[in-house]
Amino acid sequence: MLEKPTWKSTLKGFLYLLPALLILIIFNIYPIIRSFLMSFYTDYDYFNDIVHEYGFDNFIAIFQDPNFITALKNTGIFVLGVVPISIFLSMGIAVLLNNKIKLAGFFRTIYFLPFVTSVVAVSIVWSWIYHSDYGLLNYFLGWFGIDPIAWLNDPNYAMPALIIMSIWKGLGFNIIIFLAGLQNIGEQYYLAAKVDGASAWKRFTNITLPLLSPTIFFVSIISIINGFKVFDEVFALFNGRPGPANSALTVVYYIYQKFYEEWQFGLASTAAFVLFIIIFIFTIIQLVIGRRFVHYN
Amino acid sequence: MKKAISLLILMLVLFLAACGGSEEDTSSDASGESAETASSGEEAEESAEPVEIEFWHAMSGPHEEAINSFADAFNEENENVTVKPVNQGSYDDLEQKIMAAAKAGNLPDMAQSVTNVVPEYIANDFLVPLNDLIEDADVGMSDEELNDIIEVFRESSSWDGTFYSLPFSKSTRVLFYNQTMLDEAGLEVPATWDELREVAAQLTTDGTVGMGFENSFEAEFQGILKQLGGTYIDEETAEAHFASQEGIEAITFMNDMIDEGIARTAGEDSYMSNPFGRGDVAMYIGSSAGIPHVGAAVENGMEWSTAPIPELDGEKATTFAGNDIVLFNQSEDAETKAAWEFLKYLTSEEVTTEWAMLSGYLPVRYSAQESDEYQSYLEENPAFKAGPEQFDAGFFIARVPGGDAVRNIVLEELDYIIQDQKSVEEGLTSAQDRANEALQQ
Repeated sequence: MLEKPTWKSTLKGFLYLLPALLILIIFNIYPIIRSFLMSFYTDYDYFNDIVHEYGFDNFIAIFQDPNFITALKNTGIFVLGVVPISIFLSMGIAVLLNNKIKLAGFFRTIYFLPFVTSVVAVSIVWSWIYHSDYGLLNYFLGWFGIDPIAWLNDPNYAMPALIIMSIWKGLGFNIIIFLAGLQNIGEQYYLAAKVDGASAWKRFTNITLPLLSPTIFFVSIISIINGFKVFDEVFALFNGRPGPANSALTVVYYIYQKFYEEWQFGLASTAAFVLFIIIFIFTIIQLVIGRRFVHYN
Repeated sequence: MKKAISLLILMLVLFLAACGGSEEDTSSDASGESAETASSGEEAEESAEPVEIEFWHAMSGPHEEAINSFADAFNEENENVTVKPVNQGSYDDLEQKIMAAAKAGNLPDMAQSVTNVVPEYIANDFLVPLNDLIEDADVGMSDEELNDIIEVFRESSSWDGTFYSLPFSKSTRVLFYNQTMLDEAGLEVPATWDELREVAAQLTTDGTVGMGFENSFEAEFQGILKQLGGTYIDEETAEAHFASQEGIEAITFMNDMIDEGIARTAGEDSYMSNPFGRGDVAMYIGSSAGIPHVGAAVENGMEWSTAPIPELDGEKATTFAGNDIVLFNQSEDAETKAAWEFLKYLTSEEVTTEWAMLSGYLPVRYSAQESDEYQSYLEENPAFKAGPEQFDAGFFIARVPGGDAVRNIVLEELDYIIQDQKSVEEGLTSAQDRANEALQQ
């Protein structure tokens, strides 16, 4: 079935890849290399591309900057808060939607809507929902005798508010991916299990989960990468501030501040590069773990 | 085989996704340079006569319409010149696009620019110094014309005697007050900070907080600091001095009001106009550019107006901020000349008067301020009176490279103070140390 690779077939393969590769190289790989180099600029004229001195000063500077440490910590909390809950929730909903329930298509659309809505629009609506005096959320909480919470003004609640919104926003995408994964699982497995008298839970843990593992793996990698890159949500929800008392300052927000607001191009590149390395390490770890637990049919 | 393919796809996706973050700066690079400026440069070279220039700004809605009408009128008067105003979105968007265009060597001929960012433009050599143009015998301005520009704006547009910008959409801080609430409580509009505190305490009820500050209340900090005789940043030495005794006193005053519950910041509401319009706060200090927003936000037909910033021991001081217009130095001579003509046109008495009446920004010329047209406009719209009244008390904070970094630091530390995470002294000292570090770079 598998042809032996020859020079000709390899060349042909690359030819097919060429359009994608060109775009990747110009818009992704080249900027990554440039920003990697820029992270070593210590004395430079950014606009005329003149570098007087290279060095490690930027790396020392950002790790001594308490704000960068805060940003790393907040980003970590955000990823930890969003990814597991989002995966569990979306998998659960996908399994439910995969059953032949009434209006399944309708619900799929509903869950997908937040994903295709602009982050800014979503954030504006959520900033109304979270409003301490006039917000829907506090109104509902009031039914249970819970005092109004200043979701967006209180540094302790700003991050939870961000996490809740992000889970809600990302749910639709994950659900669609999980649904696709679920529909790839052959009906015959379930029939066989039913014949053997396996309970619904047994069928889930012994058939659905293992056969869904490539999808879970894929979703978790994408979610973690997206989690580390969170920016738009913060910017829009807190109206161009990194939350009260920096409580929602994330790494990308830090990069934005350094690059666009403070004209510190070297520092911004360094922070971007550190983020790249962190995401890279996490993905490698996931790949290693994934190799042991993921079954490809 | 399948496994290999899936892994390959995964790697690809990972790559794409991981790149997404760092891609942002380059993608805006690309969009900034593409359509916007392509037309300006080349056309001018073909035939020496007609010149097309681009004016980037951040005005939208009725403000943009006003700018377009100025450009149309100017184009009609000047056959050879075509001014193309381009709305670039918010001030942040505008600044980012200018940054990207500068990197790509595609700067527009002229743009609106926040005064604070001009020092960065100067430091990176983006700008045309205007002195030669101003002093030019043919196209320049007479001393009379130049000195007709409001003094505080003239000063904030020049660095060491060199003009790098001219004022355009300028605003100042004013005190907004809810007349209905003041009347009900039988109180007068406060004229001093002590009175303000007193009135705020009396107006604070269950659903209403007496006084409001914008999230950017560092402007009020700078004002009170100045009234107390302190210095915010020394422009000569580029050193921050705000953690002084005076600075602590100024922040303590505001922080105490917040702690006592008789004042609040805009916080989640972003700007004070909405809480003020709803009656959640009885007074607030904010930008005079917010007057139209307050007008739109006011509910239940409450009466409101504005007053000058309160005095302190007879001292008046209020910060003037807003946008200037700069000319960029990547244009051909003919384009720069044309841009200069348009700049002169925009800051002329006639246009600045009309602009002030259409937009609510301050007129930039004394002659415009004194004109019958503008005066009768003020009679009809008394809320706009407080702004120009404060011209003599106006000042602006030091304009130094790194100013925006300092602003971030100060806002952050003030946030720690009002969130009770730091004491006033701790917060200010830390802010000053960090600011000085940023200013030295």
